[in-house]
Amino acid sequence: MAEPAARRDLESRAPADEEALVRRVRRGDLEAYDELVRRYQERIYATIYHMTSNHEDANDLAQESFIKAFQALKTFKGGSSFYTWLYRIAVNKTINFLKQRKNRIHMSLNDLDFNAEHDPDLVAFVSDKTPRREAGLAELQEKLNAAMLKLSEPHRLVVVLHDVQGLSHDEIAKIMDCNIGTVRSRLFYARQQLQGYLSDYLKPT
Amino acid sequence: MNQSENNFESLRRLLALKRHEIPPPGYFDDFPSQVLSRIRAGEADVPGAIADRLFAEAPWLLNFFRVFEAKPAFVGAFACTLCLLLLFGIVYAGRPEATPKTALLAAMTQSAVPLADATAPVLTPSPGQTGLMISTNPVLSLEPVALPFGQQNPLAQPVSVSFPIPSN
Repeated sequence: MAEPAARRDLESRAPADEEALVRRVRRGDLEAYDELVRRYQERIYATIYHMTSNHEDANDLAQESFIKAFQALKTFKGGSSFYTWLYRIAVNKTINFLKQRKNRIHMSLNDLDFNAEHDPDLVAFVSDKTPRREAGLAELQEKLNAAMLKLSEPHRLVVVLHDVQGLSHDEIAKIMDCNIGTVRSRLFYARQQLQGYLSDYLKPT
Repeated sequence: MNQSENNFESLRRLLALKRHEIPPPGYFDDFPSQVLSRIRAGEADVPGAIADRLFAEAPWLLNFFRVFEAKPAFVGAFACTLCLLLLFGIVYAGRPEATPKTALLAAMTQSAVPLADATAPVLTPSPGQTGLMISTNPVLSLEPVALPFGQQNPLAQPVSVSFPIPSN
């Protein structure tokens, strides 16, 4: 997964050739679409995965999002960047899926990468200083995902986009089609909720 | 907001754990080919694609339906409104509209009788005629046809056709 800092100001950093790629795709050029999929697959997949906490669901939804974007590309008016538009499709699809699934939640978590064990911030959570020092990273991962799933979809989405994906409030507002104040209030509320759910695992600051 | 950011610093560091969750190795190598193969296979026509496209085009419509999902009370209120509208329609349709309908019926009766007299042949057999006379009786009565909700259709007119059969 890319670092959050690298994801800031996506609109301004959008490659100049993105519009050209979109134009080629509209003419039916699948190679150009292959390039767009490669460019955004990790971010789209990660967003859906963090929303569902299920790899198989995230795989299906990510594929369907790209397929739907391809089908709807002719209606893309260019009012926002292709990336924001694609994100909106993926987010709507995911929220619809979660609403249909409702309480039938089944986690299928991905493995942690090698770097997790060497991340000083994360190691601190499983050190002797934590209230639950017996907790390993895997348990922490499970508890964190379970806590995330307790949030409502809009609140979970804001946490995922901001605190995990590293998007700005402005970008999140565009994706969620709401104003920045709503994004901020949802983020505050969601963090409060998470802090309550994970109080046993959080070190006192 | 900075104060609240500081309050949640510990949580944000814990959330960083999510960024270390990665899919199986090689997953993203195959992903684009899977997407393109599904596009080539013509999944454009799967059921629901039209609805998905509609929701993408009109997000307000999706939000409208979400209100129903989130708050069942809205569904009840919406259903009640529809029922009231239907009842209003029934009651409104049942109200007599005396003047125009009466005038129309009177005009219709006056014009229909001479027409029937002129076109309907006399069924009395002539002395030289033998054989059967076949006459189709009017299928409809002379009363205007009733419609649901007490309305009457002034445009429907009774039809009477008779065919004289000459004797051999």
